Amino acid sequence: MNIENLQVKAEVIKAIRAWFDNQGFIEMHTPRMVALPGQEPYLEPCWLDVKRQTSNVKCRVALVTSPEYAMKKLLGAGLDKIYDLGPCFRDNEPWDGSHDPEFLMLEWYRRNAGVNELMDDVLNLLTFVISKQRNSKFEIRNSIKKMTVEEVWRVYAGVELAPLLENREAMAKLASEKFGQTVTDQDDWDDIYYKIFLSEIEPKIEAGEPMFLYRYPASMAALARKSEDDSRWADRVEFYAGGLELANGFAELSDPVEQRKRFEEEQNLRRRSGKEVWSIDEELLNALPKMGNAAGIAFGVDRLVMLVTGAKSINDVIPFSARDRLGKN
Amino acid sequence: MGSPNDIKKGAVIIKDGEPWIVTSFQHVNPGKGAAFVRTRIKNAKTGKTLEQTYKTSETLTFAEIEYRNMSYLYHDNTGYVFMDNKNYEQVSMSDEDMGDDAKYLKDGIEVLVSMYQGNAIAVQVPKKMKFTIVETAPAVKGDTASGNVTKEAKTDTGFMVQVPIFLNQGDEVIVNTETGEYVERAK
Repeated sequence: MNIENLQVKAEVIKAIRAWFDNQGFIEMHTPRMVALPGQEPYLEPCWLDVKRQTSNVKCRVALVTSPEYAMKKLLGAGLDKIYDLGPCFRDNEPWDGSHDPEFLMLEWYRRNAGVNELMDDVLNLLTFVISKQRNSKFEIRNSIKKMTVEEVWRVYAGVELAPLLENREAMAKLASEKFGQTVTDQDDWDDIYYKIFLSEIEPKIEAGEPMFLYRYPASMAALARKSEDDSRWADRVEFYAGGLELANGFAELSDPVEQRKRFEEEQNLRRRSGKEVWSIDEELLNALPKMGNAAGIAFGVDRLVMLVTGAKSINDVIPFSARDRLGKN
Repeated sequence: MGSPNDIKKGAVIIKDGEPWIVTSFQHVNPGKGAAFVRTRIKNAKTGKTLEQTYKTSETLTFAEIEYRNMSYLYHDNTGYVFMDNKNYEQVSMSDEDMGDDAKYLKDGIEVLVSMYQGNAIAVQVPKKMKFTIVETAPAVKGDTASGNVTKEAKTDTGFMVQVPIFLNQGDEVIVNTETGEYVERAK
């Protein structure tokens, strides 16, 4: 634990709230305990039992992995520009230098916006937050580099990804023959994508200057709108800086029929890998058409504080990290 | 059979019938994607290196490794030399294979050496080790309320570590060699 870093963290949070207030966003305090958490196939919620004093029936509730569903319902209820800043919880995380099972997440949403507006927001927010710190170890110089997924594959791996989209066999051949990766029958297109991306491309992104990576293969963006000019791609953006992945945003899908289909695919994927499955959140589906063309992004505040303070580990910017308080043995 | 979650430095993975030594690894959870382990592996026969990424749900085959307690002797042109505490046999690890952990090596320190087919392929230093501070700014006294404020200190093997400001040159500290972080003042 490092008291100085915690003082910087408080200043960073103050600046974040000030920026959103200046921009006319309203802060929402969405529930942490929910009955139907996000169903992403690779995120595991933490579950607990709660009961009413007058009842013997225990309700099983999950701690949110992100405030996304509640925020979308609030957009559907008529709000335009909202943000949420609070802890989120994820089970089965590595507890290493960049993951804590309880972390501070900032999420914001705008109606009538897409990934370009999200990238502008990140740039303006960071410029403001850094300007309020006395000794920030992290700097942004007027702009942030932007590259599409197609461009990073071309530049860093020498691969044209577009012809390989949705072609598992061609991806498997590329992975094993060009990059020496081991591909198994259980690997789907996304898995093979990540085997190449994580070995060949991401280390080069992380070693470089801060960067937005956007326009993802459609299969990797279950909650995003497909790109208008080519439905094989989707409007998703990630922000990388200082060797860390800081933010993940989408032009949010508002078609409830398509969203139901994707939720069902995610449920099937969970079932196939032996994971628990729960009901689709019907209130969320009802809210989607009322949300309009919104965009939203989740931003890891602890990781931002790591960059600002120069801390090498997330454990140095959290008062009592899980590794220290829960992981003694 | 094993899981990518069991990957550690010095483990030997059998891939296409060939033994590959894990030289570095990192768990990665790409945004909402499956969990992966990113590794750098080195062919035990040819020395060829590869970047490999495994999904944690995959099954891997690990080769049998013999672990032996040895003591660090000295550094020479073959690299870092260690001696088996039972039979006095000596092995050496190249500078490259020893990597960043070399900074923790002190005369006589006991380490765990991974042996594969008679060759030393990896060295594990103790998780917690004692070092003496040889250089740091003077201690600040009477400031116990902010006992968590840190400063940079140089250790007797020459690496830098962040320590609480109340420590002085000559003090002994315990360092976690996995994270490179200060743990506590040595008793």
